[in-house]
Amino acid sequence: MSRFELLRELCEAHGISGREDAVRNIILREIEPLADSVQVTPLGNIIAFQKGKKRPKTSLMLDAHMDEVGLIITDFTEEGFLRFSTVGGIDRRILPGKTVWIEGKLSGVIGVKPIHLLERDEREKSVPLKDLFIDIGAETREEAEKLVAPGDAVIFDSVFDLSHGKIKSKALDDRAGCALLIELMRDGLAYDTTFVFSVQEEVGLNGAKTAGYAVHPQAAIAVECTTAADVAGVERGRDVCRVGEGPVVSFMDRRTLYDREYYQLAFEAAKAAGVKCQPKRAVAGGNDAGAISTSCGGVRMASVSLPCRYLHAPVGIISQDDYEEAKKLLAVLAERIAETDTI
Amino acid sequence: MKELEQLMFRLCKAPGISGGERLAAKVVAAELSDIAKVKIDRMGSLTAEFGNPKAKEHVLLDAHLDQIGLVVTGIDENGFLKVGRCGGMDARVLPGSAVTVYGKETLCGVVCCTPPHLQEGGEDQVPPVDKMSVDIGLPHDEVEKVVFPGDRILFHTQPKRLLGTRVSAAGLDDRAGVAAFIRCAQILSGEKLSCRVTILCSVQEEVGGAGAKTGAFSAEPTQAIATDVSFASQPGVRPVNIGKLGGGPMIGIAPVLNRKMTDRLIALAKEKKLPFTREVMGGDTGTNSDDIATSRGGVMTGLVSIPLRYMHTPAEVIDLKDVENTAQLIAAYLREVG
Repeated sequence: MSRFELLRELCEAHGISGREDAVRNIILREIEPLADSVQVTPLGNIIAFQKGKKRPKTSLMLDAHMDEVGLIITDFTEEGFLRFSTVGGIDRRILPGKTVWIEGKLSGVIGVKPIHLLERDEREKSVPLKDLFIDIGAETREEAEKLVAPGDAVIFDSVFDLSHGKIKSKALDDRAGCALLIELMRDGLAYDTTFVFSVQEEVGLNGAKTAGYAVHPQAAIAVECTTAADVAGVERGRDVCRVGEGPVVSFMDRRTLYDREYYQLAFEAAKAAGVKCQPKRAVAGGNDAGAISTSCGGVRMASVSLPCRYLHAPVGIISQDDYEEAKKLLAVLAERIAETDTI
Repeated sequence: MKELEQLMFRLCKAPGISGGERLAAKVVAAELSDIAKVKIDRMGSLTAEFGNPKAKEHVLLDAHLDQIGLVVTGIDENGFLKVGRCGGMDARVLPGSAVTVYGKETLCGVVCCTPPHLQEGGEDQVPPVDKMSVDIGLPHDEVEKVVFPGDRILFHTQPKRLLGTRVSAAGLDDRAGVAAFIRCAQILSGEKLSCRVTILCSVQEEVGGAGAKTGAFSAEPTQAIATDVSFASQPGVRPVNIGKLGGGPMIGIAPVLNRKMTDRLIALAKEKKLPFTREVMGGDTGTNSDDIATSRGGVMTGLVSIPLRYMHTPAEVIDLKDVENTAQLIAAYLREVG
């Protein structure tokens, strides 16, 4: 069994925003024996409390989100094709020609007009969403309606590959974060800690917003995957962060201004632990931190992410080393935050 | 249909990008070696002969073995693979796709999709294939050890069963045609034919038809039928002069195709109550039948196509009933020859 069997199981589970049940069940199975208390909130977040050896001076919450981006069925055509919307931020260039699963049981494909029948100016244009359909092989609307209903969840068919020290899979954002939290619980942190596995991050941070209220910690760390733009055609200096250069610590993104001291503390902690770590070198994206930091009377916020290429595509890439380094960094940073007084 | 589905999936799982059809040929050979005399020619095309070897009439059945893909053209300083089109690859289906790189080892890769805010044209434009890259997640020096220019790349996807008798897979163009001929040979095995039949699974159709040109020359048939896939009705395509999934084989009518053969195929479809449609083409057919008809001093040639949706994408869709009916129609035709 590989080192990443848990991550594989989490990534392969189907769980678009609002439909995180399969992911939640895996996580509950894993953490129930480890936690001192486990609670599932009305929106579906898991809030798990685990006692450490010591009582913290600053109460700390770690957060990772369970949901992934995907599609949702909206309607049918008379010929039996399915119309859909995106759930979460999906670049529409990645949709044509993909194989999908509907409600985990029915295969479908997103077809496009054959290249032979395209006008010249259509060849280098991405296909507008309104021209994309899912084909499940139904011959009529009635046949499709017997098996599929509006609101059904759609997930990309993908791979899980561990060769050459990388991990290639769908939904690494943020099942990798979930796996990290579970592994930290297995190892046990020094201080009492609350672990949150949140829902609906990709559609507006709804899970984190309500979990932040329910837990009302003094400090929190969002454990995420973030866009690594170190891909072909992007010059250094615009690549945000790089796969293989360690976990990513944010000072600011589109949702959050991170706690300045914690930002610096993360680099100190990394140095002390002998762990590689890089700043997120762009003000871009946003994650659960945005909702957690402003919950209740305010929460001091840090974010530790895995650099991930092709974040919302059917297959992303992270580095196994980055994963291991992130786990070490999180353990040390959590301890440093918990052992320090705060207001 | 269950057996035909399994046959189709075996065929589609075998990689066979133009110029690299060896593994696909091996799978076809395994299917046919019990019921026909199988050979691989100098170009890599597979031939399978059955029927009466001494007969005057010799019918060539051509379906191409190759499928479209990508070819590695170089490795950039950061280890990304530069690629070119191997056949009529549609750039629009590439970004963010999982692919398999057939290098020194088989590698999992992703077609780079530059974040929209860092790309000119954002989400609206799709760059041409020669401006795209494939990411196998390795630095330059390690990539150089396992991948070489000329290596082939295919979509990483598994055949899927859809509703009813419909299936989706990459490479149904033209493994569907190959499957129809294998079925045809199965139907006729044990029957006494008055003609000699050679199935030609030709290489390199997607890049110019080298396999059909050379294969037809070598076989020297007296007549030929090519089976390829053609356009089935689907969203975005005007439903005029195209086929329909489940609508049966599409019998080609074109200047280069022999009218007597075409008429006979249509008559047989009617007699046997097989569904069919006509596909009328004013100029060439865009299939191997153009090359076969003009081989040596000329060969009477017919074209029977299998309707297919989303051609040249990894999500091609067919109805297995159309494959079976194509096999039945050609079997009925062969019984009459000689």
